[in-house]
Amino acid sequence: MGRSGKSRGVRAVALGLAMALLVAACGSSGSSKADNNKGPATTKGLTTGDTGGTPVPGGSLVYGLEADTSGGWCLYKAQLAIGGIQVARAIYDTLTIPGSDGQIHPFLAESVTQTKPTVWTIKLRPNIKFTDNSPLDAQTVKDNLDHYRKDNPLFTFVFADVKSIDVVDTLTLTVTTAVPWTAFPWFLWSSSRLGIMAEKQMKSANCNTELIGTGPFILKSWKFGDKFVATKNPNYWRKDKNGVQYPYLDQITFVPQEDGPKRLTSLESGDFNMIHTSGPKQIVQIRKDVAANKLVDTESDKFAEIGYIMLNDTKAPFDHFSARAAFAYGVDRDLFNKLRNDGILTNAEGPFAEGVPGYLADSGAPKFNAETAKKYAAQYKTETGKTLTFSLSHTADPDTTQDAVLVQKMLKQYVGLNITLNPVADQSTLINQAIGKQFDATLWRNHPGADSDTQYVWWHCANSAKAVVEPNSPACDNPVNFGGFNDPTISSDFDKARAETDQGTRTKLYEDINRRFAKQLWNLWAQYTLWTVAYSPKAHGVLAATYPDGTGTFEGLAPVTRSSRSGARAVSANGTYPRDVRSEGRKPT
Amino acid sequence: MRTVARRVLQLVVVVLVVTFFTSILTSLLPGDPVTTIAPFSSVQTRADIREQLHLNENVVQRYGIWLKNFVTGDMGREYAGTDIKGASISQRIKDTLPHSLLLMLYVQILTLLVAVPLGIYTAYRAGHLADHASNAIGFFLVSIPVYVAATIMILLFSVNSYGIHLPSEGWVALSTDPAQHFSHLVMPVVAIAIGQIAVYGRLLRSDMVATLQEDYILMAKSKGMTNGRILWRHALRPSSLTLITVAGLNVGTLVSGALIVEVIFHLNGIGYAIYDAINRRQYIALQDYVAVVAIVYVLVNFGVDILYRVLDPRIRNA
Repeated sequence: MGRSGKSRGVRAVALGLAMALLVAACGSSGSSKADNNKGPATTKGLTTGDTGGTPVPGGSLVYGLEADTSGGWCLYKAQLAIGGIQVARAIYDTLTIPGSDGQIHPFLAESVTQTKPTVWTIKLRPNIKFTDNSPLDAQTVKDNLDHYRKDNPLFTFVFADVKSIDVVDTLTLTVTTAVPWTAFPWFLWSSSRLGIMAEKQMKSANCNTELIGTGPFILKSWKFGDKFVATKNPNYWRKDKNGVQYPYLDQITFVPQEDGPKRLTSLESGDFNMIHTSGPKQIVQIRKDVAANKLVDTESDKFAEIGYIMLNDTKAPFDHFSARAAFAYGVDRDLFNKLRNDGILTNAEGPFAEGVPGYLADSGAPKFNAETAKKYAAQYKTETGKTLTFSLSHTADPDTTQDAVLVQKMLKQYVGLNITLNPVADQSTLINQAIGKQFDATLWRNHPGADSDTQYVWWHCANSAKAVVEPNSPACDNPVNFGGFNDPTISSDFDKARAETDQGTRTKLYEDINRRFAKQLWNLWAQYTLWTVAYSPKAHGVLAATYPDGTGTFEGLAPVTRSSRSGARAVSANGTYPRDVRSEGRKPT
Repeated sequence: MRTVARRVLQLVVVVLVVTFFTSILTSLLPGDPVTTIAPFSSVQTRADIREQLHLNENVVQRYGIWLKNFVTGDMGREYAGTDIKGASISQRIKDTLPHSLLLMLYVQILTLLVAVPLGIYTAYRAGHLADHASNAIGFFLVSIPVYVAATIMILLFSVNSYGIHLPSEGWVALSTDPAQHFSHLVMPVVAIAIGQIAVYGRLLRSDMVATLQEDYILMAKSKGMTNGRILWRHALRPSSLTLITVAGLNVGTLVSGALIVEVIFHLNGIGYAIYDAINRRQYIALQDYVAVVAIVYVLVNFGVDILYRVLDPRIRNA
């Protein structure tokens, strides 16, 4: 039951790295019927109507962002949400980047090699320069990585297993980890948050506004709340397969428009050339526009984030399996999807979406069964002497509230349970309640697809004590395992998979984790999120880029997403990667 | 001089009252501002943020600190994170306030351009079909919320482009491209103005109807003056005091209307800045923006007072 669309509420509070958090709810909007939708009833994997064509250098593009970034782009200090990541990708490059094969590939790095079980050697591409003409070298990369792991509250946590970073020569450095860490190169990407900045920027007092990267564009002007204008970097280090200099565009302008429906309207009217959205209501409209040849879209639920109901497993009632099972069997997800998402989403089976190691088409997660739900509710009463009831938290915006009301009605009608709703003002409050374990169940969304090891931080227990930011979790010392469950099998499998080098074995471990979740019902999975990049028919090549090693662009449109109905935020979408988009310009107005 | 002094005193009182109540209201906003700013921060970071934003002080102390900074011209910066230099509040006011002022000016101009002739004509034709029709249409227009008018216009003239295509996103400076400047502002201005036109028109009509019953109007008619001369030269001026009063007081309504259209049309004015500051719990910035709006409000009404004196010799000589 994922959610997105309207973006009021919290902004610029993303923290997520590769695991950017997406609070709120599940599902999406919708009064309109799926029958009205000219597109497919559901999306499987990646679909695009982009016909490609021969790139034509030049032109400009106006991109409608979900939000501006108040803190700017001193990346090691920043907590970038969707809008910020999009901009960061135009200015900065990362050392690695995922490809169409779902694997991580070197990007600014020429190679990232595990030379010893606990040592990764990063060799940089030669002759790459920042836009201030300073060279990309090992010392600069080391300084960047040191800043990330020491000065960023979230990366400090994620890179807790990094022991040291050492420069070997001008273009080579090593990263020594405390444990063997197979998926480490994924963290050098971190959903595009780990861009490499020039020394001059890092040392500047205006680090957040004087942006110097190696990326395809150069900051021309930024007026907060208005627009961010970037012009072509004529010395960008990449060329296409025909030797034509990237980027094709002369200029890209990012314009924040928080309101999802308005963002779409502005695309339809020609004020924007391109937008992104995960709001089913908007996606249905986009599909109609596509059918009418007014727009082109690229959709993907591969590597998707997961909409779910997060349970507080540390206290009653959900410290009892019977309570979790009664809830899980008592909600008709198919009906929910039809009523709230226009039926365009796919029910989730676990924390790993399609494309992610550990994904299972059928994890064994409970299917709706009212009788079984009633049986478990009765069992809970037998075990505790109390009638099963709880509070369901959600953001107070109308769409998410309708989601919560529907869940409430289903449990009442099918199982006879009386639950209360706990609307909260905004996502931050919801996050705060989650950190403090001040909830029973809450509508939630998170875990955009990448290597499954990036979910280690969300589910593992027995982490380093220094990472604890709220010392009040009785069951698990990991503060961002918000549900607080401490499942030795899951923790153990995550540990083994982190060190395991055989991909087949790793996948099996993550599949075990997936099944374990389905068996223990620590959370109730709802739907995979569907992200759409919609654009003018005059723009092409959204996914046409190939990386230096010939790999195609990553097919996940939500590797970094943080959003909710009340406050859509997030996404780093390769599909929205601007460097390969050409446009014939804005519609004359 | 005494009037100016009184107005300055009034300005100070209004700004103090408004900003203090803003301070109280923002402190009552649900949710912890620190978790909005940095939800996954450490305990120490949160403590630092509280310290920097004076959130450990009570609301009165916090207000005192803000006031001291404000009167010394130190509006500070928005909070953007630990060790991150947030946007300068005074710079943002400098960037956004002209947008809002221009928007409101255009709204007032359009409103008066339509409402004054309409009010005069309907007063002249009081009780006739045109008057009744104008009344009905006026009630209809005034009942349309700004956001509804804005949305309908976007659908008509931006998405579907019935006859004319108008942009619905962004601000273009007058100096950059006058044509684009006005085309970007047509819909925002009309969206706010249509409700105001009805109000202004009906107000002027009422006063005008009363004025037209005055003896000096009868005298003018008996002298053979044309209707146009009587209406525009002799009746309009004494009938417009209420209109001017409402136009001044209406600045508050325009600000709220501007806030909505600035968000919808992404005009990046002071209204949008207020909306944004509320969303991001930028308390200090919010108080600065509200204070600026309050100052503008009082100054406009001060201007209205001056206009009274121009329009009515009795006030001027009082």
